[in-house]
Amino acid sequence: MCYPICWARLSYRGRILTNPLRPVTKFQPAARLRPCGNRFDRRKWNSDHQEETAARGVITARALGRQKRGNMAGMHALQKIVAAKAKPARVEVVAGEFLEIEPDIFSVIVSFNATEARHLVANLTDLGVKDLPLKHKIIAFSDHGSPAPSAAAAEGHKLWRDFYRAHGVQVIDGGAGISHLVLAERGMAAPGEIVINQDSHAPTLGAIGVFGTSLGGGRMMLYALGRYWIEVPKVVLVKLEGRLRPGVYGRDVALHINGVLGQQGALGMGLEFAGSYVIEASMDMRFTLCNMGTEMGAVSSYIQPDATTLSWLQPRCSKPYSVFETDRDFVYESTHVIDVAAIEPQVAVPHACDDVKPVSAVAGRRIDQAYLGSCASGRLEDIATAAALIKGYKVHPDVRLIVTPGSRDVLMAATKAGYIDILHEANATVTNANCGACPGIHGGILAPGEVVISTSTRNNKGRMGKGAEIYLASPATVVASAIAGCIADARDYSQEAG
Amino acid sequence: MKLNGSAWTFTQEDISTDLIRAKAWSHLSPKEQGAHCLEEVDPAFAAQAQPGDFIVAGKNFGCGSSTAAHVAVIGLGIGAVIAESIGKLFITNAASAGLWAVSCPGIITFARAGDKLELDTAAWQVRNLATGASIAANPMPGFLCEMIELGGEKNYLRARLAREAAV
Repeated sequence: MCYPICWARLSYRGRILTNPLRPVTKFQPAARLRPCGNRFDRRKWNSDHQEETAARGVITARALGRQKRGNMAGMHALQKIVAAKAKPARVEVVAGEFLEIEPDIFSVIVSFNATEARHLVANLTDLGVKDLPLKHKIIAFSDHGSPAPSAAAAEGHKLWRDFYRAHGVQVIDGGAGISHLVLAERGMAAPGEIVINQDSHAPTLGAIGVFGTSLGGGRMMLYALGRYWIEVPKVVLVKLEGRLRPGVYGRDVALHINGVLGQQGALGMGLEFAGSYVIEASMDMRFTLCNMGTEMGAVSSYIQPDATTLSWLQPRCSKPYSVFETDRDFVYESTHVIDVAAIEPQVAVPHACDDVKPVSAVAGRRIDQAYLGSCASGRLEDIATAAALIKGYKVHPDVRLIVTPGSRDVLMAATKAGYIDILHEANATVTNANCGACPGIHGGILAPGEVVISTSTRNNKGRMGKGAEIYLASPATVVASAIAGCIADARDYSQEAG
Repeated sequence: MKLNGSAWTFTQEDISTDLIRAKAWSHLSPKEQGAHCLEEVDPAFAAQAQPGDFIVAGKNFGCGSSTAAHVAVIGLGIGAVIAESIGKLFITNAASAGLWAVSCPGIITFARAGDKLELDTAAWQVRNLATGASIAANPMPGFLCEMIELGGEKNYLRARLAREAAV
C-alpha cells in the first residue's frame, strides 16, 4: 500500500504536527490515511499541462503568497487572495484586519427597486462621479424576477438598465440565468479572484477557488471609488469523508452540513470543504456545497481547486489565473468531520434552513407545489437526476412541479440530452432560466397555507409567499414528492417505471 | 456618539433579512416598508414603535439575503439595532445608510422590553438608564463609525473624495 505524496495530505498532516492544540471536533485517522491514488497531484498536473498553463498564464503553486514571509503563522488560501487584491497589495495578513481591496468582478442585479436606482443616480451625480472606475469589471445580471412579472418590476428593471447602459456597464439580460452560474460557466470568474456579488449566494464561486463574497453596504463606494473593504476571515473546515449511499445526493450533504453547523456555524468566517467526498464530487455538487455557505453565515466558501476544477475550467475560462493554496501550518477556527455514508436523504423543515431532518420524519406531508431550481440546485446534474426519476411517471394532479434551469447553458444542455422532453411529458412546467420562485417574486409564488417542497436556497418564513411553508430537499426528493403528491423518499421510486 | 432609545426586544435567534422585511415589499417607499418591519415576528411592533426606539435582538440578527431590509428599519425611524450578534451584510447595509447596528453579547438578558437604553459608541458601552448598569459592546472599525456618524456612505464618500483631492 502506498501513500502518494499529495499536497492536500501534507497540509493536513502539517497542521496536526505543528498545532497539536487546534480545535478538532472529531478525528478519524483511518479515513485520513486511506490510500489516495486518484487524488490531485499538483506537480503531475503541472507537468502534464505545461504548455497550456504557460500559454494561459495559469499558476498553481503552494508558494504563491508565501514569498518573503518570515515566521508568520500560516495563511489560508482565502486570506492570500485578500492579501493579493489589497490596495496596496500585502504579503501577509491576519484574521480580523479590514483591508481595502479592488475586486476583479463586481456583479450587480438589474433590480426591481426603482427607488434605489433613482437614489443611486442622484447620489453619484451629487458626488460628481461621472465615470465609474470599475465599469469594465461591473457585470449586471437580470436574474431576479426576469422577465418582469409586473408593471412595477418592469419600471425598476428599466431604470437599472438605463443606469448601467449610460455608464457602459455590461448587462446580461433575462434568460441567461443566475449570476453565480453564468460567472463560472462563461469563464468570467477565475480561481484566485475576488468576486463581489450583490446577491448573497456569492460564496457559490468558492467551488472554483474564487473569494466570492456578497455585500450589504459599500455599493456606492464600489461605483464611485472602485474600492471595497473586506475583513480577513477566520476559516472553518468541513471534512466530508466516505461515499454516499445510493439515492443520496450532494444537496443532501449540503443540507446535512447546514443542520450540523447551524445558521451561525461560520458566521462572518470563511468555510472550506475538503475530504474524500469532495475530491470525488462533481463540479455541480461542489457548487451546491459552496452555495450553502451563505446559510451558515459564511462570507465566502472554498474548495481547493484540483484536477476536477482545472479540467472543468479548461474549456470555459480563457483568462490567466492563479490557484492559491493554504499553508501547512494554517490553524482553522474549527474542524468538523462528517461521514457522508451515514447520511439519509435530508429535508430542512419550515422555517429554518438548519432545522434538518431525514426524509422519513416528514414523509407523507401534503404538498401543493414542488420546485426544482435556484443557484443551489439548478444545474445539469440536478435536472438529470430529476428526469431519470420522473421518466414514465406523471406529476400528481394536485401538485404543480416547476423546473427552473439555473442558466441558459444548463437549459440548452438539458434540452439536448432529452431531459426537458421527459419533464414535459410528465406534466412539469419548465420555465426560463433565472432565480425563479426562490426569492418569491417570480414563477411560482405561493398562497397562504400552501406547502412547497423545493431545492431552493432558503426556507425563511414568507420567502416564497406570505403564509406558505417551505421544505428544502434534493432534486430527487422534490421530484419523488411531486409524483406522490406528498413528501416522499426518492428511493421508493425505481428509475425505470412500469 | 451617544444615542438614547427604548428597547423593543426580539429574543429569537437568526432573524433573517426576509423576516425583517419580506422581499414582496421591497418596491415600497422606506416609510411604507417600515410599516411591514418585522411583521412576521411581531405583528404589533411596526404600529407601536416610536422614532428613536432601539431594536434589541438575539444572535445572528439580519442573517440571510443581502436585500436592503435595513430600509424598513430606518423607515420606521429606529435609532439603533443592538443584538447579540449581527450578520455582516446587515451591518454594512445599515452603516451605509447611517444606522448603527452594534453587536453586544449579553444584551438580550441585559435589557428588557421598554427599558430606556443609552448606546455610547465612543466608550462602546450600552447603559440601562433604568438600572444604571452598563454592558460592553463590540467596537466597530473606524471607517464604519465615520460613515455612520456622517450619516451614511454618501457623506463618507464626499468627505473622502475631498480628502483625496486635497492630497
